[in-house]
Amino acid sequence: MSLTELVPAVKMLPRADKLRLMQLLIIDLAQEEGIPLLAAEAEYPIWTPLNAFDAADTLLQMLQTHQAAP
Amino acid sequence: MTTPVRFAYADAAAGRTDGSRLAYVPITLRHEAHVLAVVGLLDTGSTVNVLPYPLGFQLGLVWEHQTTQVQLTGSLARLPARGVIVSGQVASFPPVALAFAWTQATDVPMILGQVNFFMEFDVCFFRSQAAFEVKPKGEAP
Repeated sequence: MSLTELVPAVKMLPRADKLRLMQLLIIDLAQEEGIPLLAAEAEYPIWTPLNAFDAADTLLQMLQTHQAAP
Repeated sequence: MTTPVRFAYADAAAGRTDGSRLAYVPITLRHEAHVLAVVGLLDTGSTVNVLPYPLGFQLGLVWEHQTTQVQLTGSLARLPARGVIVSGQVASFPPVALAFAWTQATDVPMILGQVNFFMEFDVCFFRSQAAFEVKPKGEAP
């Protein structure tokens, strides 16, 4: 099927299907380019300990003890 | 006045775009007779410094001897961590005492965070130039 034939068919699609088609094409192109995409079922670690305030307090106390030691 | 030392951003993923460059600073860690030249990720969002297990092991730290438990957050929360203090030296600046949360995680970069790397060093980022500068704390520019 050529693009000329495809376009009228795509225009007939409901909005949700058009968006889904866009998504499929983007994923397809990204995979061809070797661009890794986030998968819904996968787990992606966040190593940065954000707001680890208890840990920060503990380390600061350790530093104070260390600096006070002879 | 101490002149800041300028470092280039490093490619965290070879062959990727400019977006893969991160601020890794070379640093020499010392603990007793052990000396380790490594790079640490400058992470302003991290509340603490994080030392991966293998680096602590190479510094001669013994897990069972470290009694101060530290509770981390994020993906590191599920693994135990211990508080440790080692000496850290950037470039030819005087070494400073750095407190780390020594995690049992092995696949994490060494993270240099607010407590206490950024309390000891003033860092200026020039991301548009893919560079950053470091100098000891407490000196006006």
